[in-house]
Amino acid sequence: MNTLWRKAIRDFWHERARTALVVLAIALGIWAFAAVLASYAILTRELDLGYLATNPASAVIRVDAVDDDLVKAILQNPDVSDAEPRRTISGQIKAGPVQWRNLILFVVHDYGNIRVSRLVPESGAWPPAVGEILIERDAFEVAKAKIGDAVTVKTTNGVEQPLAVSGSVHDVGQAQARMENIVYGYINLATLAQLGEAPTLNQLNILVAQNRYDENHIRHVVADVENTIKSRGHHVFRTDIPRPGKHPHSDLTGVLLLAMSSFGLFVLVLSGILVINLLTAMMASQVRQIGVMKAIGGTRRQIARVYFGQALFLGITAVLVSVPLGIIGSRVLCRYMAYFLNFDINSFAVPLWVYVCVALVGIAAPLIAAAFPILRGTGVPVRVALSNFGLSQTTFGAGAFDRALTRIGGTFSLIVLALRNSFRRRLRLALTLLTLTAGGLFFILALNVRASMINTLDHMFAARKFDLSVSFANPSDYKKIERAVSNTPGIKRAEGWFTTEGALNTRFNVVALPAGTELLNLEIIEGRTLVPGDTDAIVINNALAGREPKLRVGQTVAMRIAETESTWRVVGIAREAFSPAEAYVPLTFMQQRYPGMVNGLRLALVNNDWDTISVVRTDLDRNLEREGVRARSSSSTSESRFAFDQHMLMIYVFLIVMSAIIGGVGGLGLMTTMSLNVFERRREMGVMRALGATPRIVWMMVVAEGVVIGVLSWTIAALLAWPMSKALGNLLVRMVFQGGLDFTFEPVGLLIWMLVSIGLSALASFLPAWRASRATVREALAYE
Amino acid sequence: MISLNQVSKTYETPAGKFAALKSINLNIAAGQFVGVVGKSGSGKSTLLNMIAGIDRPSSGSVSVAGTEIHGLSENKLALWRGRNVGFVFQFFQLLPALTAAENVMLPMDFARSLPFRERRKRAVALLERVAVSAQADKLPATLSGGEQQRVAIARALANEPALVLADEPTGNLDSVTATAILDLFRDMANQGTTVVIATHEADIARVIDRRIEISDGGIVNQ
Repeated sequence: MNTLWRKAIRDFWHERARTALVVLAIALGIWAFAAVLASYAILTRELDLGYLATNPASAVIRVDAVDDDLVKAILQNPDVSDAEPRRTISGQIKAGPVQWRNLILFVVHDYGNIRVSRLVPESGAWPPAVGEILIERDAFEVAKAKIGDAVTVKTTNGVEQPLAVSGSVHDVGQAQARMENIVYGYINLATLAQLGEAPTLNQLNILVAQNRYDENHIRHVVADVENTIKSRGHHVFRTDIPRPGKHPHSDLTGVLLLAMSSFGLFVLVLSGILVINLLTAMMASQVRQIGVMKAIGGTRRQIARVYFGQALFLGITAVLVSVPLGIIGSRVLCRYMAYFLNFDINSFAVPLWVYVCVALVGIAAPLIAAAFPILRGTGVPVRVALSNFGLSQTTFGAGAFDRALTRIGGTFSLIVLALRNSFRRRLRLALTLLTLTAGGLFFILALNVRASMINTLDHMFAARKFDLSVSFANPSDYKKIERAVSNTPGIKRAEGWFTTEGALNTRFNVVALPAGTELLNLEIIEGRTLVPGDTDAIVINNALAGREPKLRVGQTVAMRIAETESTWRVVGIAREAFSPAEAYVPLTFMQQRYPGMVNGLRLALVNNDWDTISVVRTDLDRNLEREGVRARSSSSTSESRFAFDQHMLMIYVFLIVMSAIIGGVGGLGLMTTMSLNVFERRREMGVMRALGATPRIVWMMVVAEGVVIGVLSWTIAALLAWPMSKALGNLLVRMVFQGGLDFTFEPVGLLIWMLVSIGLSALASFLPAWRASRATVREALAYE
Repeated sequence: MISLNQVSKTYETPAGKFAALKSINLNIAAGQFVGVVGKSGSGKSTLLNMIAGIDRPSSGSVSVAGTEIHGLSENKLALWRGRNVGFVFQFFQLLPALTAAENVMLPMDFARSLPFRERRKRAVALLERVAVSAQADKLPATLSGGEQQRVAIARALANEPALVLADEPTGNLDSVTATAILDLFRDMANQGTTVVIATHEADIARVIDRRIEISDGGIVNQ
């Protein structure tokens, strides 16, 4: 090993605290990057693998009834590899005195031979016996029940029936029960009969034989199957083709992981900035030595090679330190996501490409970050390098900005000095401000996005003037419903609505509203709302307008609504954030087909607290039963709001964690800057001490300098917070929910971050300040 | 050996232009021991920097051992310096992370002037020549000022340069050590090395062959 490399190693050892700080800075960035990249690899693989392991149906066809002959006939189609009959039925469930919860019951013919959309038994009994119900593992919390409990179940047309909860299953393909606030139950045909429903199946889960991930192929095969069903005298009510091979949550997970990966890269860039700061200082302290080496014959290339070697060593060390921690981090993250999205991770194995990618980025990042300081440091002319007596003498005082600074700060010398000192190393200040500002910006932004999402939800729910919504399985006589309502105390206003389905290029929900509805106040962004007297007018929401380019205000479009081909005039577009594609038509249209009937009820209550809603719900159920009308499900607006809030929680948590980590990197950056500033000004501090400054004054001067930087970063973050929060919030919501955001600025975020940044700055400066104040005058003056 | 023709050097400073050297013409023959004397700020160090190729003239030309060094690139200058010039600084400028022997080996590493294994042997021999071989494996921080300067002189001789330049080599030493160091330079010159030292000390006359006095950037007496 030649002397240059020996010098490199010994320099590292001599400056081991700083070396450790650089390794820590790089490792922090690589850790975040490795954790999200590994999580991305694990989650995308496991989510889809876990889902595919259940052999998910290529299509679900709802028909009037399924018998063995029909299944056999479908299986003769060579393009169909399997077809399994089931039934899905809505109902309600309650455990003990707790209020009714919405229930989706899955009826399986033969639990011993489930081939399509498999269920995984978790604990308790398998299969469920007659009179027993299995509950999806994530739904126990919603049902407020446990294995062994007796629950009461009622279906749309059946009777209230006690069932025993005998086991728990995992149904990978269902949306998370806690988020949806719904219970998934699994019974057999005999239990269905006990519930008072006809023991028949009406749903076919189809699996295509080839090209299982080709949606067009699936559509062709399904069209053939539908023809077979119709040719045998059956009706096809609806066909759903889920996105082939993709878990229902894979898009949401993908967006979140993408956001996390961007965040990981961002942290890596910030830590790179930290490395630039540290290496610039390292190189600055080496300038004289570089001059000497050049003076005795060292070329720039020879010298630069050694410093690049040091950066390479830093990168390799940081990779070795951070990769295992990143893998641990990814496991924590994956477990959290898996719990949140209700799926299991069978293997946490991280693919080789992740290691390679992390190693390459981890090694390249410090080399790139080091390039500028090294090239600058080794490029200093020998004369300048040799005459370098520290860094402060030529960098402050010459420029107009420096002169301007001398005019501000007042007469309190400590503040004046802190202010001017903070501007002495401009590049370092700029880089430090960048990291600190980023932390502040993300924090304020996280609060603003959260506040804006809440505001958007408030706005959306403000349009819904009802507190309780009841749906009926079949169109029901509104007079009977009105009687039940009038016998139920606590109801201020009731309206009968009709919900059905429409289809143009895609399927969408259609809500038929009574003329002059007072329970829905649509936010019209173009055109107008429905008015009394409208017959062929249709109002669409922004989600539907985004999906169907033909639907524009003023256009007349032929489409299929409630199985009827008819022509509609688009009169308005309503803004409904976070809503699926929906259209609104006059109730008179549906009542031409179902005179005097509705299939939904919206109620405004006198009081809308949880207890009152529960009482009204129970009373109304009873009164409806008396009138012979069976509610399929009911949900309060507060419950829907709760479900939305649950969906948002993940985004809030993500943003807050992100800002905390970035704030941490910023704090580390400031600590580095302050320790470098103090290190470079040791002699100056010695002079101050010699002139009579006490250690306390030196300490305060350094802390004040840190606080000046903190306040500066806060000011920049505060100025940028508004436009950036709006842009990022909109981007996030558009990516996840295909909607816009009602932006609102959270002023408390500014105040909190001001306190945090001042506290963080004081904290980050504390150690360097303490060290500076501890140095003796002799030591400080001896420093050159 | 050394020829400076109409060499001027002007620096731009925040306070305005500063002429460090003004139209210097100078020739130094091989093997001479030359003392450049003058007050602080007179231009001594700038003159040495011009000869070493550490700084470039604003105008004029510098030729050392037949090489027009003012035309060389920074890299070529470094290579040239490594093989042809030994430099001794006022504050010794030993690299603190390297031992005395390693400091002496450094120019050999740069110039690859000797096979790797022979470098240490030569470094120790040079340290012996300047009477500090016992300190070969010590770090500079543990050496006295005189010992550090001896090591710096040994380093300057590492690649057997034809020219040794020393900028105030005794400025930081006590008088006894300073005398010993000047004697070392005298020995070098006796062995054929051209030695140019910049100093503001008057008692250098006893060892040098030629005295050049410089004031306000110009040669006033030689």
